[in-house]
Amino acid sequence: MSPAPAGSARLERRLDAVGAYSLLVLSALFALFPVAWMLSTSLKSEAEAFALPVRWIPQRPTLQAYVDMWTLKPFGIYFWNSLVVSGVTALLSTAIGALAGYGFSRFQFRWRTALLGGFLATQMISGVLVIGPYFQILAAVELYNTLTGLIIAYVTICLPFAAWMSKGYFDSIPKELDEAGLVDGASRLQIFLRIILPIAVPGTVATLLFGFLLAWQDLLWALCLISIDEKRTVTLGVAFTVGEFIIQWPMLTAASLIASLPTIILYLFLQRFYVEGLARGAVKG
Amino acid sequence: MPAGRTWHDRHLGILFVLPATLLLVAVLIFPAFITLKLSVTPEGGSGWTLTLIHYQKAFRDPVLLQTFKNTFAFVALSLVGHFVLGLALAIALNQALPGQTFFRLLALIPWTIPDVVAGIIFRWLLNPIHGALNPLVRMVFPGFPAEFQWLSSPTLAFPSVIFANVWRGYPLVMVMLLAGLMAIPRELYEAAEVDGAGRVRRFVHVTLPGLRMIILIALALDMVWEFRRFALVLTMTGGGPGTLTEVLSTLVYKSYFQFFTFEYASAMAILMSVVLFILSLPYIILVGRER
Repeated sequence: MSPAPAGSARLERRLDAVGAYSLLVLSALFALFPVAWMLSTSLKSEAEAFALPVRWIPQRPTLQAYVDMWTLKPFGIYFWNSLVVSGVTALLSTAIGALAGYGFSRFQFRWRTALLGGFLATQMISGVLVIGPYFQILAAVELYNTLTGLIIAYVTICLPFAAWMSKGYFDSIPKELDEAGLVDGASRLQIFLRIILPIAVPGTVATLLFGFLLAWQDLLWALCLISIDEKRTVTLGVAFTVGEFIIQWPMLTAASLIASLPTIILYLFLQRFYVEGLARGAVKG
Repeated sequence: MPAGRTWHDRHLGILFVLPATLLLVAVLIFPAFITLKLSVTPEGGSGWTLTLIHYQKAFRDPVLLQTFKNTFAFVALSLVGHFVLGLALAIALNQALPGQTFFRLLALIPWTIPDVVAGIIFRWLLNPIHGALNPLVRMVFPGFPAEFQWLSSPTLAFPSVIFANVWRGYPLVMVMLLAGLMAIPRELYEAAEVDGAGRVRRFVHVTLPGLRMIILIALALDMVWEFRRFALVLTMTGGGPGTLTEVLSTLVYKSYFQFFTFEYASAMAILMSVVLFILSLPYIILVGRER
C-alpha cells in the first residue's frame, strides 16, 4: 500500500523546495564567482594581483586601478563616446521605428505585407556579411572614423525590432482616436505626434533600452569603423587594453566593471519590460 | 470615408515607412549585395568578370571546414547548456519560494555583462599562474597540474570558450522560459495531480506542451545569436591556439580586415549566411504556420 496521499504530497513539496534551493544557491555561486573575481582583482595593487599563491580577497584594498583607468588611459573619452553613440542610437531608432510602426499599424498600402516580412528578415543578416562594404561606403563619404557612421549603423540594426515593437503597441491603441483627430481636421502626422505618440510612451521604453544596450555592448562595428583613439567606444577601449603586450589586470578589470555598470543597472531595473518586449516581438515574428 | 482620403492614405503610409526602409536598404541590403558580387569577382578584379574560384577554394579550405565544425559545435553545445540550465532554474524559480526575486536577480547577472567583458573575465579566470580557476581545481583534485594552460590546450581551449558562453547566455533563455512557465495555469497541474500523475508525467504532459512555443522561439533566437557570436571569442582566445577556437564571425572579420582578402572573405560570409538561413528555416516555417 502506498502512504496516505496528503502526507506524500507534503513530503514531495518539501523535497521540491530543498531541491529548488540547492539549485538556486549553486547557480548563484556559478553566476557570481567570475564577477566577484573581477571585483577582487580591480581592488588590488598591480603587485598583489600577481602575488603567489593567488589571494582571493585583497589584503590591502586600493582604488588605484579605478583612478588609473581615467588618468593613464583615456577611458573618460571612451565613456563619453559610448554615451553619445548609445543615447543617440536609442532616440533615433525609437523615433524612426515608431514612424514605421505607425505606418504599418494604420495604413494599407501596396507591398505592406512584403515590407513587414522584409523588416523581419533583415534581422537575420550577420554583421560580418555587410560590414566590409559598409566600411567602404563610409570611407567614400568621409564618415569613416566618425561617431556618425557608427550611429547610422546601430540605428539601422535596431530598426526592425523598433518597428515591430511599436507596431504591436500602436495596434493596441483604438483607431477611433485617429478618426476623431481626422474629423477635427488634424493631419496624419499631427495625429501621430500629438495624440498617438504620447499614449505610446510606455511602449517606447523597450525600444529605447534595446537601442541603448545594443550600441553600448557592440564590438564588431566599432572595431571595423573606428581606428583612432579619440573616437573609441568603451568596449573598443577594453578590447584594445586586453590586446596589449603587458596587461595591467587591476586596471582592465576596473574598466570592465565600470563598462558593465550601465548595462547592469538598466537590465536589472528594466528586465521585465525588456523580456516582455522580446517575447511579444518574437511571438509576433 | 471619401475615396480621396483613401487614395491619400495609401501614399501617406509609404511615407511613414520610408525612412526606416531607406536606412535598411542603404546599410544592410545594399552592402549584402556588394558582398555577394565581391564573392564572384576575381581577386583585385573589377567590373563584371564573374568567377566561382573563391567558392571552389572555400570548399577545399581546411581552415574554413574546421571553422564551420567549430561554429556548429559552439552553437549546439551553447544551446544545450543554455537550455538545460535555463529550464532547471526557471522551474526552480517558478515555485514561488521565499527569496525568489533575490535569486532571480542573482541568476540574471551574467546577462548584464557585455560579451567583450565576459571574454576578458574568463581569460583572467583561466590565467595559468594568476587566475582563480587552477587553485580552485587543485583544492578539489590535488593531483591537477599546477599551472595548467586552459586556453593554450588543444583539448580544453574550445570547451573553455563554450563554458564561458554558457555562463554568459543562459539567463536570457531562463527568463523567457520562466515567462512561459508563469503563463501555464496552476489548475492544469492540480488536475493532473488529482488524476494521479507523478512529477515526471506532469512535466511531460503539462509543462513541456505548455512551453512548446516559447522553447522553440528561445532556442531559435539563441541559435541566430550564438551563430554570430564574435566579441567573446575575440577577447577570450582570438581564435587560438592556431584556429582551434575560431568561429565564422572571427574568421570572416580577420580575412577582411586583417588579411585584406576581400573577395574570399565575402564568399565565406555568403556561405555563412546561407547556412544560417537553412538552419532557421524550420523555425520560420513553424512560426509562420502558427500565426
